[in-house]
Amino acid sequence: MLVIIELKKTYPSGVQALKGISLKIHAGMFGLLGPNGAGKTTLMKIVATLLEPDAGTVEMNGVDLIARKDKTRRMLGYLPQEFGLYPTLTAEQMLDYFAKLKGVTERKQRRALIDALLEKVNLSSARKQRLGGFSGGMRQRLGIAQALIGEPELIIVDEPTAGLDPEERVRFHNLLSETASDSAVVILSTHIVSDVSNLCSNMAIIRQGTILAACTPRQAIDQLKESVWEATVPRERLAALKSKCRIISSQTFDGQARLRVISKGERPGEEFTPATPTLEDYYLDLVGQTERTN
Amino acid sequence: MRSPSSTRFGAVFINEVRLNSKRVAPYAMALLFAGNALLWWGWGPATGRGWATNADFFIAGVLPVYSFMTLPLFTALIMADPVIRDFRTGIAPLIFSKPVKRAEYLLGKFFGNFFVLVCCQAAFVLTLFVLQAFSKQGMIVQDLKVFPYLKHFLVLVVISHLVLAAFYFTVGTLTRNAKIVYGLGVSFYPLYITYQTVLLKGLPSRWRSVLDPLLMNWGKIDRARSAELLNQLVITYDLMLIANRAMMILFAAICLTILYARFAIAERSGKVEKFSVLNLSTASERVYYGLASFTPTRHDQFGSFESKEKAMLSGIVLPKVIRVSEGFSANLKKLIAALGVEFRLLRAERSLIVLIPLAIFLSTLDLAFYQVVPEVSYSATYASSTANALLLFLVGMTVFYTGEAMHREREVGIEPVLWATPAPNYVLLLSKFFATLLLTLSLISMAGLAAIAVQFFRGHNPIEIRAYLMTYAVILLPSVVFLGSVSIAMNVLLGDKYLAYAVSIGTGGGLFYLYSIGHDHWLYNPLLYHLWDYSDLTSEGTNQATILIHRLYYLAIAGASLGLSHVFFARKSTKTLRVDGGLSGGGWAILITVGSVVSAMITGLMIGAKK
Repeated sequence: MLVIIELKKTYPSGVQALKGISLKIHAGMFGLLGPNGAGKTTLMKIVATLLEPDAGTVEMNGVDLIARKDKTRRMLGYLPQEFGLYPTLTAEQMLDYFAKLKGVTERKQRRALIDALLEKVNLSSARKQRLGGFSGGMRQRLGIAQALIGEPELIIVDEPTAGLDPEERVRFHNLLSETASDSAVVILSTHIVSDVSNLCSNMAIIRQGTILAACTPRQAIDQLKESVWEATVPRERLAALKSKCRIISSQTFDGQARLRVISKGERPGEEFTPATPTLEDYYLDLVGQTERTN
Repeated sequence: MRSPSSTRFGAVFINEVRLNSKRVAPYAMALLFAGNALLWWGWGPATGRGWATNADFFIAGVLPVYSFMTLPLFTALIMADPVIRDFRTGIAPLIFSKPVKRAEYLLGKFFGNFFVLVCCQAAFVLTLFVLQAFSKQGMIVQDLKVFPYLKHFLVLVVISHLVLAAFYFTVGTLTRNAKIVYGLGVSFYPLYITYQTVLLKGLPSRWRSVLDPLLMNWGKIDRARSAELLNQLVITYDLMLIANRAMMILFAAICLTILYARFAIAERSGKVEKFSVLNLSTASERVYYGLASFTPTRHDQFGSFESKEKAMLSGIVLPKVIRVSEGFSANLKKLIAALGVEFRLLRAERSLIVLIPLAIFLSTLDLAFYQVVPEVSYSATYASSTANALLLFLVGMTVFYTGEAMHREREVGIEPVLWATPAPNYVLLLSKFFATLLLTLSLISMAGLAAIAVQFFRGHNPIEIRAYLMTYAVILLPSVVFLGSVSIAMNVLLGDKYLAYAVSIGTGGGLFYLYSIGHDHWLYNPLLYHLWDYSDLTSEGTNQATILIHRLYYLAIAGASLGLSHVFFARKSTKTLRVDGGLSGGGWAILITVGSVVSAMITGLMIGAKK
């Protein structure tokens, strides 16, 4: 289990990225959801030993990840939000290099592992191809392959599907869900709600360096049971509805507004019909509420 | 009428100046040039010979030398990548989608950067100008002058560099490869010297003046004349010089015209190989992405994910592997792996294609075409000659490629991935150090083999391999070890490769200047420049023991530099000096640094006692 206690980080520019975050993350897929600039990448970088926090602790199975970065790196598989590859090396050479750095010293084992990894991420036919010619999706798949080397106990993937087309995204989801096992902690940091709803058994929502909620996606959705409504109304009615209920989303076309609102216990209007709540509703409602409070 | 700054050309020009104002390199260059001026003023030839430091002939004499000494490299540094930067940062499509004309864009880029370059260069002449207000004992200063500084600077320096800048800018923009331009900058001196000795030397003096871009052959003044007479001289520009300057401006215009004609705004795909091999949308690729996957998330059911998506999985199980991440043997294997990759990446540097043949050619040029007088033996002379000729290349290569290796990971964006692996810091640092060392050793070996081949073909027998091995092992090897480790430390401590280059060039230039005026003490002469001959390496010489101690002294400094690099390396592993009952990496680094400093002090004292 990964335990984060009161983690704080302020950048030299004065930006307070983390304001005392505490989380308990069990084995399995954990989604860290938040808008851009929420502090997700800062948190991921600290856990991945690349950034020093100002205060707080991070522990995994009794190992202090902040003080013992060397030990952390032995159990870590990391796919950063933005990363590059040596353009002159081939996919095979790149994985071979990372496998050696991760301590897979036995040659036969290493070769078998690389073969399986390339097969798993569907890059077998590109194994001899230089990385400079890889597309975004191929690079991302190679990124996840290197993160999987050596059965890491802690896997961190930071915004892995940003910029991928829908097919590559599904591909990536499949890979990640295959990766999650009973023993490894997989943290998926993202601002795409559907990534979390599709993949994660547990999640947290972070905004402006603070955890707003930590629960399972199911628990989150259950909180909105019988509270989400949909309707198409004239635009003029928007102002009146805003005072009556919380509008999660509105799309305007042809003088009409298509609304999705939250109203607990009471139907907001006759034209409204009940809708199935989603994680996106929960997320937008929570973030909206915090904004209003601020 | 529109003000020039609100035109498109003006916008590009101002933006370039603004971008350069946020870089470290121009400030470092200006500082370096100002320091250079200070050296010329206080410790140059004027003071000892009674020349006025603001005499017209002195100003006109100093400027071409200043222009020659370091500026071609800096011109390459500023002018190589203004356009490449736009493509690299991805801003090019945004610019080219605006109604900016090719000429406006290219000229704005060129003149914006050239203006910055000239501002940096002007630090030299401004410093000399300001120093008119000061004097020291034995120094003559005439009445305040303004115009000669401006005039000579514009004519003798700016126009020379206009042509170089246009050439470098054209090459950089058309090839979209800054390294080729840096390679040209580094190879400027050998090429220029070859041009002087092979082409210009045999021509009449007037043609030598006309065809020399840096004006090293123009206006030779008899310096044996009395100082009073020289101080009264007023330098005027003759027809040859005017023709030369006109030709240079014309050549710059030709370069820019070629660039205008050949420049294409299209993105270059480079060697994109077999893209079609991976068809990302065929169902035969085993990973399933059926229609159901594309339905909006809000309609997904968590329960059904289990049943549907799990069925899509590829089912490939990764084999179990044994990981050994601790212990000397495991880390040695990591070091060898990292060294292999670093060396492979260094070998892929395109500038080597120019640099290595050039270094071999120039280091054996004398031996191949001129009379060779044997010192102790022919092999000893061949080995000594190549060793001396290689020094400049070894310095340049070590500094440049260490900088490249040290910052490559950040530049290509692989740093976070690499730093998250369980490789100790010394593996990451030493792999770069050894890779650069291996590269320079390859150059030394190739130059040695070329020298042996020349010796063989010229019939200068017998060929004594031992003489080569001894010379290279004692003179060159410790020098490159020292240079490599100091370069690593500089890159770690300064954190910016261009700053490290500027400091290296400044320090190297300063030291060579000191050596040239006789200050070449062993304690600050790591390359043994002018301090040895072959007999010193054998029992026949008088300096054998001192050379040995000298080499140990610099190897100790090298050890301290590597230790310091480890201590200050940005990637941290542990907070304490002791872990698990032993020393941590940082602990070992401090121990090695202290040990090396003590060794350097002892050997330094021994050298001081001997010399």
